[in-house]
Formats: sequence, structure tokens, C-alpha cells
Amino acid sequence: MEKFIELFAEAIEREDEIKMQDEFREYPEWSSITYLSVIAMMDEEYGVQIEEAEFKKLRTVQALYDACNNK
Amino acid sequence: MDKQFNPFSLDGKVVVISGAASGIGRQCAVSCSKMGAKLILLDLNESGLTETMTMVERPEEHYTAAVNLTDYERVPEIIKEAVAKVGRITGLLNCAGISTTLPLNVAKPETLDKFFHVNVYTAYFLSQTVCKVGNFSKDGGSIVFFSSAAGQYGETCKSIYGMTKGALYAGAKSLACELARKNIRVNSISPGVIVTPINMNLPHIADPEQRKQTEALHLLGLGNPEDIANACIYLLSDASRWVTGSNLVVDGGYTTR
Repeated sequence: MEKFIELFAEAIEREDEIKMQDEFREYPEWSSITYLSVIAMMDEEYGVQIEEAEFKKLRTVQALYDACNNK
Repeated sequence: MDKQFNPFSLDGKVVVISGAASGIGRQCAVSCSKMGAKLILLDLNESGLTETMTMVERPEEHYTAAVNLTDYERVPEIIKEAVAKVGRITGLLNCAGISTTLPLNVAKPETLDKFFHVNVYTAYFLSQTVCKVGNFSKDGGSIVFFSSAAGQYGETCKSIYGMTKGALYAGAKSLACELARKNIRVNSISPGVIVTPINMNLPHIADPEQRKQTEALHLLGLGNPEDIANACIYLLSDASRWVTGSNLVVDGGYTTR
């Protein structure tokens, strides 16, 4: 989980703390560009390719983590 | 006259300069230090870096590292260490690069690989590293790519060099779009022929006849490293705070004709 948070923080370029229950779209760093970075991170690091419609359903950091680890 | 007024001051700036062991990179280091910047100087050539450090102002404030910029694992470690010692980065001059004059019929894939790695990949990935969380100033800053007149205009046997410089020119524009949200400005600079210790021995400058021809292409004669360093000071300073995605041509009129 620590590794995931590290990769996620790097993808969205966030320096502040990240909690699993956070709704990541509420982060000030979240943007169309960080979205692309997260999609790329999920693909490259976890082999997860996720459709935009599916991604939209994910609200929290925990949900992203689950999507990466329950392929 | 207001002696305090200096929009070109680099006081409080932390500037990374690649290729700082010689030529334009070295001059940029010297000039930026005179304008007040703290420096992070990178180059493969350790003795050249040491010599540069004897020429800069306040050498105790700066950080140097002899590193192969194509070592994409080592560079991030060095930048992290440099930031811890000198402070967060506000500017990057991607000066490192190599040149060649090579006809199409003798070029090999390995030649292109080498030139794209040294001229394009290193600048791109150094920029990526510098922009990573924790490295760049939260207030933003300025990144400069070194394109060339040869990146947009043709010269016989300059196709490989020109391709790499054209790539930097193009890449800078899209990165300007991407990094504006972080208040990081991205510009390129396109020098004409500059007389440096390295290219002073190349035929187009060393040979009197060829030098005459090279000079004739430049309305104002050949350039000096200072001409490029001064342009870099502008792009690094707050004087250019509203300038991004541009290509600053500093070529003595070479591309005017």
C-alpha cells in the first residue's frame, strides 16, 4: 500500500499527505493532466488498463488501489 | 536612476545547468552567478567542472556533480541531493549537447541513437527530474532548451544535429502548455554559430576560408558564449515572467535572410 501511495503521489505531483479514504478528485493537484499520469501509472506499474467510464466510478484512493490490486 | 531596479536579477534563484564544464554552459554558470543565482552544475567532465568553479562568483554556494546525463537512474539521486544542499530549483538550462557534420550516406542507426540520447533524451529527462515533486520551487520558474538555428534552417550535412535541435524546439512548446499550471515557463533558445573553445578547432571556424563563409552567413559576425548567457539570464529572470513557449533566436542575423 505504501508503494502505491508513493506512485500515486508522484503521478499527481502531490506533496501533502494522502489517505486511503481521500476523494482524490478533491485534491487541488487533480487535473486532466494528472488523470493521464494516473492512467499511465496504473498501466505501467500494475498492468491495469481502465476505461474512462470505469475510472469515473472510482472515488477514493482506496478504490484506485483496489482497482490496481484486484485485476 | 533607480539603482535597485533590475528585473534581470537572479538573486534567490537556484539554477541547474547541464554541460557546465565548457563553452556556453560554462559561460552561463559564470554569468548566472554574477547575477546572484545559486547553481547546480552538471557535466561528465569533472576537471572542466572544477575549472568552471574557479570562475564563478561565491563558489561555496554552488553544487557540482560529474555525471553522465544518460544515466537516468543516477541523475534523480544527484538532483535530490543538490536540492537538499542548495534549495529548490527555479530554473534549468539544458546546455549539454554534441554536434556533428555528417553526410546522409555514412550515418548509421547508432549515430542517430547517440545524438538523440545526448541532445534530446538527456534534456527531456533532466527536465522531468527537475519537475518532480519536491525538486522544483512551488512558485514555479523557467526551463530553457537549447535548440539551434540548425533546428529550423538547413545546412549541408547537419541533418542529424538539426533533427535533434528541431525536436527540442518542438518539445519546448508542448511542455510550455503542460507546465504552465505549475507556473513553470518553458522556452527554447536558438543560437547561431558561437565561437567556443571546442568548436574553435572545427573546420568551419578554424579554417580561414571556411570561417569567412561562416561569418558571411551572420549579419553581425559570429557570436560569443556571453551572447547566449545574456539571453539565458533574461529567460531565467522575472523579466520574462510572461514569456513561455517561445523560441528566442540569438544568431547575429543568420536566419534573417
